[in-house]
Amino acid sequence: MNDNRDEKLDNLLRSRRVEPASPNLAQRIIFKARQLPQTKTMPLWQSVRDLFGEFHLPKPAYVLASALVFGIVIGFTAPQDTNLAVDDGGVSLQGFLSEDEALL
Amino acid sequence: MATAWPEKDDHELLALIQDGNGQAFAALVERHTERFYRLAYRYLQSKAAAEDVVQDAFLKLWENPAIWQPERNSKFTTWFYRVVVNLCLDQRKKKKPEVLDNDAIVADDRATADELMMREQEQKMVEKEIAALPERQRIALNLCFDEGLTNQEAAEVMGVNLKALQSLIMRAKTTLKERLKAYL
Repeated sequence: MNDNRDEKLDNLLRSRRVEPASPNLAQRIIFKARQLPQTKTMPLWQSVRDLFGEFHLPKPAYVLASALVFGIVIGFTAPQDTNLAVDDGGVSLQGFLSEDEALL
Repeated sequence: MATAWPEKDDHELLALIQDGNGQAFAALVERHTERFYRLAYRYLQSKAAAEDVVQDAFLKLWENPAIWQPERNSKFTTWFYRVVVNLCLDQRKKKKPEVLDNDAIVADDRATADELMMREQEQKMVEKEIAALPERQRIALNLCFDEGLTNQEAAEVMGVNLKALQSLIMRAKTTLKERLKAYL
């Protein structure tokens, strides 16, 4: 009895009528879309990927370029040993030259 | 007339749409409008409202194609069903549900007048009781009894597992069996 009711209910649910859509619905949507601009928002990683794609460089080139950039950054941030400024307790170059001139 | 591109699958068309290809968009619309309209109609019981929802859903995709992320979604239809269902829910919140009127019931010309009247009455009652179901049960029912959608796909659309979906369907049918017992 229960199975019968289940089957009848399923048939009722499957036979629900749907009023047909307007025949030009798809065309209306397509026409409306033509009047609307697209927003080209992309995730950041995709933008970066597309940017690298534009260069058409092999991967080793990116490694070398990255190493170069890294090296430059290291170079500018490293302490400079050839600084001519006076050290505390040391002999300055200026003083040394002045001594020479004094002798002359 | 837009190119149908039957050889291209939905993913390929979407990739072209993301590149701004209007013809690919037209092909996708022509391919799927009917099925999404049917779901929206079952939910909203209004031809005008269902057409608006389907239009809004497709235009949303066209204006911002990046909302489709192929790595997150295996099937376009499953994902788009979700978009349409959400728009249907928004539509219902905005408007009061429309009373199903006689004009909305599709008649079968071959039936006798009595049969027609009985079917109309039956349809009205079925739609009225489905409309009275809790939201999630209603969505589950509409999805599962939509042709072409498996229970697994319906579960994916709703973001639940298969067991949860089957539970929703069972509860919906239990309620309907009770309320529609005169017709069963």
